[in-house]
Amino acid sequence: MNGVRQLTQAYSQAPWRKQLQILGLFLLVLVLAAVIAGIYLNVTARAATYGREILMMQSDIEELNLINADLKTRLAMVTSATEMEKRALEMGFEHLDRYEVAYLVVPGYIPRQGAVIAPPPKPTVIVAASLPADYTESLFDWLRVRLVPALRRLMEVKP
Amino acid sequence: MKTEHIWRYTLLGTLLSVLAMFIMGQVARIQLDRERVQLFIERGKDYLYMPRTIYPARGLIYDRWGHLLAGNSTVYEVAAELPYVKNPHTIALTLNVVLGLDYKKVLEELDPERKDGIVHPVLTDFVPAEKINQIERYREEIEKNYGDSRNKDAPSLDGLVYTQHLQRTYPENDLASNILGFVGRDQDGRIKGYFGVEAKYNDLLAGEPKTVMIPTDPNRVAEMPEIPDGASLVLTIDRQIQDAMEEVVDQTMESSGAESVTIVVEDPKTGDILAMATTPRLNLNQYWRYGEIFKGETPFNRAISQAYEPGSVFKVLTMAAGLDSKAVTPDTTFVDTGVFEIGGTYIYNWNSGAWGPQDMQGCMQHSLNVCLAWIATQIGAKQFYEYMDAFGIGRQTGIEMAGEASGRLKIPGDEDWYDADLGTNAFGQGVSATPLQMAAAISAIANDGKMMAPRIVRSIIKDGHQYDTGERLVGMPISAETARTLTEMLARSLELEASDALVEGYRVAGKTGTAEIPTPYGYTSHVTNASFVGWGPVPDNRFLVYIWLEKPTTSIWGSEVAAPVFAEVVERLVVLMNIPPDDVRNALLSQ
Repeated sequence: MNGVRQLTQAYSQAPWRKQLQILGLFLLVLVLAAVIAGIYLNVTARAATYGREILMMQSDIEELNLINADLKTRLAMVTSATEMEKRALEMGFEHLDRYEVAYLVVPGYIPRQGAVIAPPPKPTVIVAASLPADYTESLFDWLRVRLVPALRRLMEVKP
Repeated sequence: MKTEHIWRYTLLGTLLSVLAMFIMGQVARIQLDRERVQLFIERGKDYLYMPRTIYPARGLIYDRWGHLLAGNSTVYEVAAELPYVKNPHTIALTLNVVLGLDYKKVLEELDPERKDGIVHPVLTDFVPAEKINQIERYREEIEKNYGDSRNKDAPSLDGLVYTQHLQRTYPENDLASNILGFVGRDQDGRIKGYFGVEAKYNDLLAGEPKTVMIPTDPNRVAEMPEIPDGASLVLTIDRQIQDAMEEVVDQTMESSGAESVTIVVEDPKTGDILAMATTPRLNLNQYWRYGEIFKGETPFNRAISQAYEPGSVFKVLTMAAGLDSKAVTPDTTFVDTGVFEIGGTYIYNWNSGAWGPQDMQGCMQHSLNVCLAWIATQIGAKQFYEYMDAFGIGRQTGIEMAGEASGRLKIPGDEDWYDADLGTNAFGQGVSATPLQMAAAISAIANDGKMMAPRIVRSIIKDGHQYDTGERLVGMPISAETARTLTEMLARSLELEASDALVEGYRVAGKTGTAEIPTPYGYTSHVTNASFVGWGPVPDNRFLVYIWLEKPTTSIWGSEVAAPVFAEVVERLVVLMNIPPDDVRNALLSQ
């Protein structure tokens, strides 16, 4: 037993072992720093890419809105009263004379209702921002969100 | 370490410490100077964010069935980025050929050494997509042929840029133009609605432009704020009825030789304006021709902006007041001697004749000025003007369009009111009203005494929801009984008269009007305002039509030029509104 203690003491006090410990510790810190820096760079680069994509999507949305507005107006142009009348006449339809109209009772007939372009008003519902947190949170936010609850759970576990 | 070197290290250490302390002191000084900190933060923001003003799309305008009457289409602003322009001559020539721009002016704009320092001159705006596509095809062709050329003078469209934006477009061109108005730019270049609902609801339609800060750093990307489009409007007008009425107006202009023709079609039960057609009209997609079409003081919409002396159609209101106040009954007999003196003024009939004993229906049927002036005196000035006020004469109707005139009704107490005015007002002279005011007032008679406010906007669509404006009861100037009695009297009058306003199969009530036109030298008798007001099918009135012909030349009489127009209008309305003839309707109702 005494011999083992002496061996451990001798081994731990060896100068080269001490230097190795310091070097190992330094390398460990360096590797850790490199890993953290790597993760940080990776996340930042991805965030920047997604950010750029979002900006491009926003630009696309604006362009699509313009196209939608344009198409809506073009549709209205080709279905305008004058155009529809012209096309109907070309297809052989004629203007209806009041003497040519026959009226009959249609059970359950619902007369034409006025235009409903949008639903009527209803109680306001507060909607959360639609942009996910992934696009805005920093690495530290991300770590805090995930590590803090994990640590708390660990602390709560009793031996 | 040698001791003689220690002082060197001490000195170096001291210097470095002083330098470090100086830096830290400087950092602290800057950090603690709030004004400077604020300044730096603001300066930093200039580089972090880029301001951008977002203009919401202008709200749309629909007819009552959802047909688009005013929309937006994409157009382009054409500009040049001077630092990138390689050959200004190619750009000037292309824009001259494709867009018709002045070659020299474009070349001047493209001068790289221009004194004003502008590097992004706008060459033109509102260019349609087809033209831009044409320019792009030129660009591709030039690239293909000269893209690799090292010649400095090689053709090139480099530096020519486009920015797309929305422009107001009216798919129906001139249909309902007098109701809609148009969108142009004011003196400061701001987009603005002119006339009609475009002007009245300009702020609502335009929405609120918002300036947002766009981050230049993609890491700072933020959600773009939702900029809602301008509110949209659903009008009460029916596109088909409006189209038909405009056709009738144009035909009548030609057949009657009138200076202008106006027709208002209203649903008396709700106050909804189904059509409002007048002359002249403007293709709203060419709004810059406004001055060419509306010369001098020509109003944009005569139905709401031009008050005139309506003449005998006004007798409907006088008779309504007479019956309602019990000053007369339908059986009251009036002996027409052909002249009536009031306030020192003598009033004569339209043919200067004496019609002898007449009941009230006879007075209306023969449109006797003398009889109606007498009725006004029987009612009494105070009560007569109270009734006219209740009918809204002399007041704006509140229709949701810009430029409504109020007309003029002189009342006792006014400086220019004389006793004689009571007599002349009774048959629609010396009082002015717009066609819409007359239609709104008389709609009370077609709606059992209930007078609805005329409305042109049925609902407003804002923030994704449709809000109905709702019908509005203005008042009940006369009783339901009076309204029904008068309607019956006027329907019988037309039948007994075998009026040109009658429509086979449909019972209608109505009254003609022929009014002399006041001039600085007195009233003219050779040019008149011819009018007709009618409603039906009696008794279940679905429409009220007001017609006004300004200075017709083929005949001066409303019964000859305006009454047939009413028949034509009704013939079209019954088809468009699915109104069966009376016998069919009664048979269907009895089933």
